[in-house]
Amino acid sequence: MSSFDSLMQGFAIALQPMTLLYGFIGCLVGTLVGVLPGIGPALTIALLLPLTFKVPATAIFVLFAGIYYGAMYGGSTTSILLNTPGEAATIVTSLEGNKMARRGRAGPALATAAIGSFVAGTIGTIALTFFAPWVVDAALAFGPAEYFSLMLMALVTVSAVLGSSALRGLISLVAGLLFGLVGIDLQTGQPRFTFGQPEFLDGIEVTIVAVGLFAIGEALFLAWQGKENKKTDVLAVSGSLWLSKEDFARSWKAWIRGSLFGFPIGAMPAGGAELPTLLSYYTEKRLSKKPEEFGHGAIEGVAGPEAANNAAAAGVLMPLLTLGIPTSATAAIILSAFESYGIQVGPTLFTQQSSLVWTLIASLYIGNVILLILNLPLVGLWVKLLKIPPQWLYAGIVIISVAGVYGSSNSVFDVGLLFFFGILGFGMRRFDFPAAPLIIGLILGPMAEQSMRQALTISQGQWSTFFTRPISGTLMAISIALLLVPNVLRLIRRLK
Amino acid sequence: MSTRLIASFLLVFCALAAWQVFSIPESTIQSEVGPILAPFILVALLSLLSIFYLLTTIGDKASDCTHHEEDRPLKGGSTRVLYMLGGGLAFILLAKVIGFLIPATLCGLGVSMAFDAKFNAKTLSIVFVIAGAFWTLFSAILGVDLGPIVQPPF
Repeated sequence: MSSFDSLMQGFAIALQPMTLLYGFIGCLVGTLVGVLPGIGPALTIALLLPLTFKVPATAIFVLFAGIYYGAMYGGSTTSILLNTPGEAATIVTSLEGNKMARRGRAGPALATAAIGSFVAGTIGTIALTFFAPWVVDAALAFGPAEYFSLMLMALVTVSAVLGSSALRGLISLVAGLLFGLVGIDLQTGQPRFTFGQPEFLDGIEVTIVAVGLFAIGEALFLAWQGKENKKTDVLAVSGSLWLSKEDFARSWKAWIRGSLFGFPIGAMPAGGAELPTLLSYYTEKRLSKKPEEFGHGAIEGVAGPEAANNAAAAGVLMPLLTLGIPTSATAAIILSAFESYGIQVGPTLFTQQSSLVWTLIASLYIGNVILLILNLPLVGLWVKLLKIPPQWLYAGIVIISVAGVYGSSNSVFDVGLLFFFGILGFGMRRFDFPAAPLIIGLILGPMAEQSMRQALTISQGQWSTFFTRPISGTLMAISIALLLVPNVLRLIRRLK
Repeated sequence: MSTRLIASFLLVFCALAAWQVFSIPESTIQSEVGPILAPFILVALLSLLSIFYLLTTIGDKASDCTHHEEDRPLKGGSTRVLYMLGGGLAFILLAKVIGFLIPATLCGLGVSMAFDAKFNAKTLSIVFVIAGAFWTLFSAILGVDLGPIVQPPF
């Protein structure tokens, strides 16, 4: 069956009223969490993981996809009206978007961000639809050695290449990998890193770590800084929410270019939306007929990066769905949701869970339309949400986090662990250790270890198997190069 | 709290992890790679990275947001953090004893006070409503087991 036929079958399921309702709720919740500072898609999806015991898989992944895309849309509202980018990927949007809002052009800034997100989200989803089966075909040739090398490459790039320091990224990653090994070893049944506590035998739940780092850690950091009450300057939505002819003419090419930057870079194992948004911003600045407007509120500077950000979000789903490799914290948590249903993510997902995957992809198209319809008319509501005083907002976030963790196991030990990871998250935020590698390491660690052990069993203990098999060897070489080349270049520059 | 202290914490963490690696029982199951190899490599790697981190802190190259004027906390940062952790501790100690609502309210109260809310009836009633609303959403509507909303301690 062709991709197109499979997609049509996916639409048939995604358009059923119940699935559509989950998609709608996902988009609404996603936009809400994107708008609110201190709560993002990774945290929200982590909090909703207990629902995997009660809700069918298709419905839950449609819900999660809505949250994921919705948060991308919602993030731009905060950047433009509050100049507070919720995540690194929307920093660039705030550069020009907030300047436009200050010049009385918040409406066109929000409109170009929303329409750009729709265009890029749709282009990204089309690319996912037609390229994913190719990647699956290639990945079916992968054995455990190739998988281990691929995971190693993803881990190295996420930790060492992105972020401000390779050293801190790698420390975060290795700590995550160690946390991932806590519990019973699946092959031999031996307990590891349990400190004699029976509560650790089942391992550490991803939910606890993600919620601890992102919700409790963030709240602790903001409380420690004590500046949240002093800076709520939400700008009014001024100007029309429709684009004028001139605004449209200046935006559409930026949307397309942003999408073309966003999807391929998002789909790479290094993933991330920071690089494509920056590339898009500087490209637009160079190509603009009015470069003098940059820094004072140029519409292309909002249109391009917003499109790149959303296309990268679609790109991140590519390695997740085709290879089972998460390249962002949100993707890592979606992967753990697949695990809760006992679904093996990887190339076989497209054959064994074809209906689920294509419904999920179809729901991305539908979600984009829902988000476009939801976002602009409801912008007044989103602005009101930005005015919630932080003492009630963070009380709500922490109580919902505690309730989510306590509810999944009914164990106060887990709540204690939640606060432990909260304190860890606070320290990581203060000392600039990235959190995403820790989450990705936590999830990929056990999978990478299993692949490594399987590969070594097949090769009868020959470690050279990772280097002598062509694909595995190439991936290993890339990993080593990514780890060494930036440092060598830095050293050469310093010696000069 | 300096970056050197963080580096020391990391090294203590590595020592604890190393102790746990050597506590893993040998498996009787025949396999090319046992349960110890991956933890051993990771602990060794983390120890090495922690030593590198310690070296960067000696050269004052390690990042701490207090080095930047705009990120420095306002006065009373530690007290605000303690309020929030106190709220969490209240939940941990009381949730199994008296049900969800009052411990969650105390937890929310700690968070609100960490964000400069005053300790008064208004704050108490708002966090009480938030805690009650989340119990209703999770337990009564979504069917997540949060235990009873209130229960007598004895």
